[in-house]
Amino acid sequence: MTPKSSLAVILFMPQIRPAGLAVAQRRLPTHQLATRILSLLAICSLMTQAITTLSGTLAAADTDPPTPEQLYFESSVRPILKTHCFHCHGEAEHREAGLDVRLVHLITKGGDSGTAIVPGDASASLLYKRVADDEMPPGGKSLSPKEKEILQRWLAQGARTKRSEPQTPPLEDWTEEERTHWAYQSVVAAQPPKLELTSNASTAESLLSPVDAFILDKLQKQSLSFSHSADRLTLIRRLSFDLRGIPPSHEEIANFINDTNVDAYERLVDRLLADPRYGEHWGRHWLDVAGYADSDGYSEQDTERPWAFQYRDYVIRAFNEDLPIDRFVLEQLAGDELVPTPWEAISEEQQRMLAATGFLRTAPDGTGHEGVDQNVARNEVLAETIKIVTGGLMGMTVGCAQCHDHRYDPISQRDYYRIRAIFEPGLDWKNWRDKNARLVNLWSAEERQRAADVDKLLAELEATRLKELDGIVADIFEKELMKLPEEQRQEARTARDTAADIRTPEQQKLLRDFPSLNVDRGSAVLYDGARINEFNKKFETQQADIRKARPADFFLACFSEVPNQVPATHLFFRGDFQQPRDPISPGGLSVLQEQDRILPDAPEIPTSGRRLQFAKMITQGVHPLFSRSMANRLWMPLFGRALSSNPGDLGRLGEPPTHPELLDWLSHRLVDSQWSRKNFTRELLVSNTYRQSSAKNGLHQDKDPQNALLGRMSLRRLQAESVRDAMLATSDMLTLKMYGAPSSVNPDEVGQFILGKATRDGNGILVAKQEEVSDTYRRSIYTQIRRSMPLGVLEPFDPATMTPNCDRRSNSTVATQSLMLMNNSTVIRLSEHFATRVIREAGSDATAQVTHAWLLAFGTQPNQEQQARSLEGLVALRAELLPKELDPAKVEAETSKSQHQALALYCQALLSSNAFLYVD
Amino acid sequence: MKRNQANATHAPCSSRRHFLAQQGIAGATLWIAGALGQQSIATPPKPNTAPVNYDLKPKPSHRPAQAKSMISMFMQGGPSHMDLFDRKPEIEKRSGENFSGELKYDNAAESSAKIWAGPWKWERYGQCGMELSELVPHLGSIADDVTLIRSMNTGVNNHGQSIYALHHGRVTAGRPVLGSWLTFGLGSESQQLPAFVVLTDPGGLPVLGTDCWSNGWLPSVYQGTVIRPQEPRILNLNPPPHLTGKPQKAYLDFLKQINAEHFANRPYESDLQARMGSYELAESMQSAAKEALDIGQETEATHKLYGLDQEPTREFGTRCLIARRLVERGVRFVQIYTSTQQWDHHANIKDALPAACKKTDQPSAALVKDLKDRGLLDSTLVHWGGEMGRLPVVQNEKNVGRDHNTYGFSTWLAGGGIKQGCIYGQTDDFGYQAVTDIVHHYDYHATLMYLFGLEADKLVFARPGGNGTLLDGQPGKIVEGILKNPILNNPVPNNPVAATPA
Repeated sequence: MTPKSSLAVILFMPQIRPAGLAVAQRRLPTHQLATRILSLLAICSLMTQAITTLSGTLAAADTDPPTPEQLYFESSVRPILKTHCFHCHGEAEHREAGLDVRLVHLITKGGDSGTAIVPGDASASLLYKRVADDEMPPGGKSLSPKEKEILQRWLAQGARTKRSEPQTPPLEDWTEEERTHWAYQSVVAAQPPKLELTSNASTAESLLSPVDAFILDKLQKQSLSFSHSADRLTLIRRLSFDLRGIPPSHEEIANFINDTNVDAYERLVDRLLADPRYGEHWGRHWLDVAGYADSDGYSEQDTERPWAFQYRDYVIRAFNEDLPIDRFVLEQLAGDELVPTPWEAISEEQQRMLAATGFLRTAPDGTGHEGVDQNVARNEVLAETIKIVTGGLMGMTVGCAQCHDHRYDPISQRDYYRIRAIFEPGLDWKNWRDKNARLVNLWSAEERQRAADVDKLLAELEATRLKELDGIVADIFEKELMKLPEEQRQEARTARDTAADIRTPEQQKLLRDFPSLNVDRGSAVLYDGARINEFNKKFETQQADIRKARPADFFLACFSEVPNQVPATHLFFRGDFQQPRDPISPGGLSVLQEQDRILPDAPEIPTSGRRLQFAKMITQGVHPLFSRSMANRLWMPLFGRALSSNPGDLGRLGEPPTHPELLDWLSHRLVDSQWSRKNFTRELLVSNTYRQSSAKNGLHQDKDPQNALLGRMSLRRLQAESVRDAMLATSDMLTLKMYGAPSSVNPDEVGQFILGKATRDGNGILVAKQEEVSDTYRRSIYTQIRRSMPLGVLEPFDPATMTPNCDRRSNSTVATQSLMLMNNSTVIRLSEHFATRVIREAGSDATAQVTHAWLLAFGTQPNQEQQARSLEGLVALRAELLPKELDPAKVEAETSKSQHQALALYCQALLSSNAFLYVD
Repeated sequence: MKRNQANATHAPCSSRRHFLAQQGIAGATLWIAGALGQQSIATPPKPNTAPVNYDLKPKPSHRPAQAKSMISMFMQGGPSHMDLFDRKPEIEKRSGENFSGELKYDNAAESSAKIWAGPWKWERYGQCGMELSELVPHLGSIADDVTLIRSMNTGVNNHGQSIYALHHGRVTAGRPVLGSWLTFGLGSESQQLPAFVVLTDPGGLPVLGTDCWSNGWLPSVYQGTVIRPQEPRILNLNPPPHLTGKPQKAYLDFLKQINAEHFANRPYESDLQARMGSYELAESMQSAAKEALDIGQETEATHKLYGLDQEPTREFGTRCLIARRLVERGVRFVQIYTSTQQWDHHANIKDALPAACKKTDQPSAALVKDLKDRGLLDSTLVHWGGEMGRLPVVQNEKNVGRDHNTYGFSTWLAGGGIKQGCIYGQTDDFGYQAVTDIVHHYDYHATLMYLFGLEADKLVFARPGGNGTLLDGQPGKIVEGILKNPILNNPVPNNPVAATPA
């Protein structure tokens, strides 16, 4: 590392760190502050080292090997022991071998086998020997060579601690190293860096937003700069996919390109943000976080959730209406506590708030499924819900602390159960309410009455039906009886009328010898199919007639608590609900000193109010985890990766932000803009950073191949839903119907999951066939998400996996995707529709056709060379598709058909091309 | 220090993939994972938290495997064991009398307690002297290569439940089937062909439809891939007929041109190049499948062996021959189905049973012979059997048939470590219940897994509520009596085959 770069960092970093120090000051005596500052500087310098390594300007091999540094227990060794050893040798009730390895003096004291370490001599230290020989940890989970090496070196250096140790390991008194992790520090209201503009003069013009100052500052430090701005076609295509998930129409493109107003770009951004498609596309991002699905998952049964869509619709509306994020989160966590009970004849606004709590009902849920241990399933609903909530809103993997303290982050097992206590009143595993009991009926009083009347009539009809059916069964029995010798008939009647368990051996034998006497309601159809079918038809018709008067089901699936019923939450030893220990009060994370922030039950509402308080706690002010998490998540879809690249884990196993100051600045900005998503997004979109060209050159390749520093826009592949939606839009087949029940997904004849209802084939086997109806062509967000039946056309392109939720999508390039684009019947059908559209709009001239198709697919006219190549391509396809022998009577029809097929194949090539699948 | 690139390419949220996903090309869009998290040498390394990437690459078995691939011929409907494989003198003696015990009928209306002996003659075959019906002479010709199990039992008296039990261990829908487990545990020797292939009957889907090759809750890369009886033979791998061959080639040529031009303007974007490569890979998979299905490459003698020269055997023989070509090319598991309920002889058994035998007897025996001639039988397990047998009494006296029976029925196995010329197990005097050496569906599964070198209890997939296994906690035991070699009992570590995410 050059002295210059480390100086730059030291000068730069203090701006963003004082609040971190403020946290420290609250808790630490002054004399420890010096150490704290030094360690912070060490962190800063490490980050610089990381950046230089990333950009490749300073390869490690070019520098001298680092002088062996002094290792300390707290910073180097404790994390290893915490990960591998603490649970059995410290935290658990029973300490294995009497050894506690949580403090050095306890290790020195040792356990049943005597002292565990000899400072200065690793090979004489029992702890090291057991670990080095892979005897510990048990079960083949040995330490890595690097971990062993650290342990060995620390012992050789004298097994030092940085600070003096307490007598006993304090409960939830997190070490300095743990507390100072970046994500827990207060969010700093930093000013954008004032840049000394070192590169070319035009850089000044490129600071269109404060965001740009943060980005450029880092770029300049690596002698990089912004790329030039992308052209207008690229910009509108990028904006359209980023905001709406579908391509711009060629009219929209032409309007934008020809717009000479200075604020043409800004107005385009506003227009797209106001488009209802925005909520559909961005709502999908949030549904990933929430783990939304239209089925239960969990067991083989994977029961459908017919009313889940109301939450999906809530999310789409919230994005379109720009519901402030704090309110959005409040409603999702505690909408039910905002609506007074009883929930009868509730207003639309109240329905909306109840629907919001669908967020807490997305987790896989095996309760009520056959063959499932109900207590396990109930507790897992709670566990998965906690994962979704804490990962989604706080970027913390709290779920890891269910069985023992988190192995990497300062999250105690008590913390876990504090959070569990927030949700347990609504998911009370000892007083479980099944899914139907939780549904809120949205019928009006009049509708309720009508339904009750209908149900009464149906019950009466059913009684009549059964009586009549029993008559038929009796007739059949009499007929079967005729097969018996006359003298046995009366005996058989008696046998049949006698309960099975008190029949005499003779009666039993008689019925065994004439098994066809055993007719009952269920088997009657086997005896007299015609009569039973007629009978069934008669009653089905009557039932259907009565049912017509019944209002359609209208339910809301939401989260709720039983008023005035608050179960106690206990810490579970090893996470096992059969081993409850201390009762635990609701609270937040102790590392943030939030363990006591959820106050005793609020008196003004009949439910516990815990979720309401939790929501307020995290949305108040600039919460370090919540606000960073939200800003980080809003950044991700626009730039292809989040600033802290794993938005579900801002802890030690996640990645520190590439631009920590920017993330903090954005977090404040989000709060300052009244949590408006649209304002925040607009701020990012008008930045120069966003508007850059995606062109990657040799310098980028050398210095920042992954584009972490954003010296250009990243080239991005469309996400799964957009691949399909863009094809629908381009072929002019997109149905824009919003909201409501999803389009059904079912297996087809080979087991691929397609859009269509399941019907019986000629052999009575249930298969789905894709139908050409408008519902087939709705946007992907409106297709049914069945956890066990991923829609075939989406699956190859890495859709969200809901186990339980998805923090970021993967981005694979596999042959399955190519095979789908080449051969999938939906893709082929859409290509045919695309061709039909081209002919409709461009006529029959081949040149006009290829040109227009190109325009529709890519938003621009082909250049001369592209046009010539396309024409050549189409001619070749026509030649291949023209039947070898034309029926003279049908020459025209067959030629026209083959030409349509050729054009469709040309269109399919455009839809399968990289230019279509990627956004510059 | 280098970033952990392997870690970086493992993308999150990816577990479900279709059958060809193992051909993944390392995408150029890598995560920046680790990039700025570079830490001091003294800081302990982070664990690899990247999700497991499920693929079909070959994986080592728990123990040395005897079987490497399997062909299962599933005889839906339930072949009448007492008319084909399990001669019962007591039935012959008491034909026409009433059966004195309790029977479970499926169809009460046509039920009768009258014992009935079929009209077919019996003969002893091979050195082992296996007694078989005259309806299955070709099976007789390979008697010394097969094990005939006469004591199968699933205990659920209906087709659907019993088919489920034999396919995936339980009587309800939604679990991963045997072929999914084998490919999950062992991957496939071929990366060009699907690992788990299903050959359906032109007469229609099996009675449970696509559930029969469902991956259940295993990742969908382990779903069976259907080779359809008509074009396109493999959906998504083959285009519809009018686009097959030259038209698709012309499409790919044009696509290549426009992609090349697009890439020329973005020379550093290797993801684009990878995607272009993936089209070439797709093409090579198409040709591999086409080649594997091309039975024109086989000699006339082979065609004849499988009965391709005769109408009753041509269709089933063709699928048996394709199955052989597939395992020869490294496919792990091939499942062949007969059409819906072809063996469900509730009535007219006198004509329908011989017809069903005619269709399958020669081709299935030919498959065993052919595999043996090519030295493939030792490593290929062949299964022939249905989900049930039938009752000793008459159903439908006007047009005689037999009703369901899942309490005792027969199945035969050959190759892949199975004993030769062996008869295993017994039913009672009337062939109603298996009484000696009963083989439950879970015993059958445990034995198959063992032959593949897998321990059924230790091949697990993490699920809500606990680990999922094929046996699902049922007491499946390896049936030593049908094995060629004594059981190996060396201990097996927990779950070494397929690590699954928590």
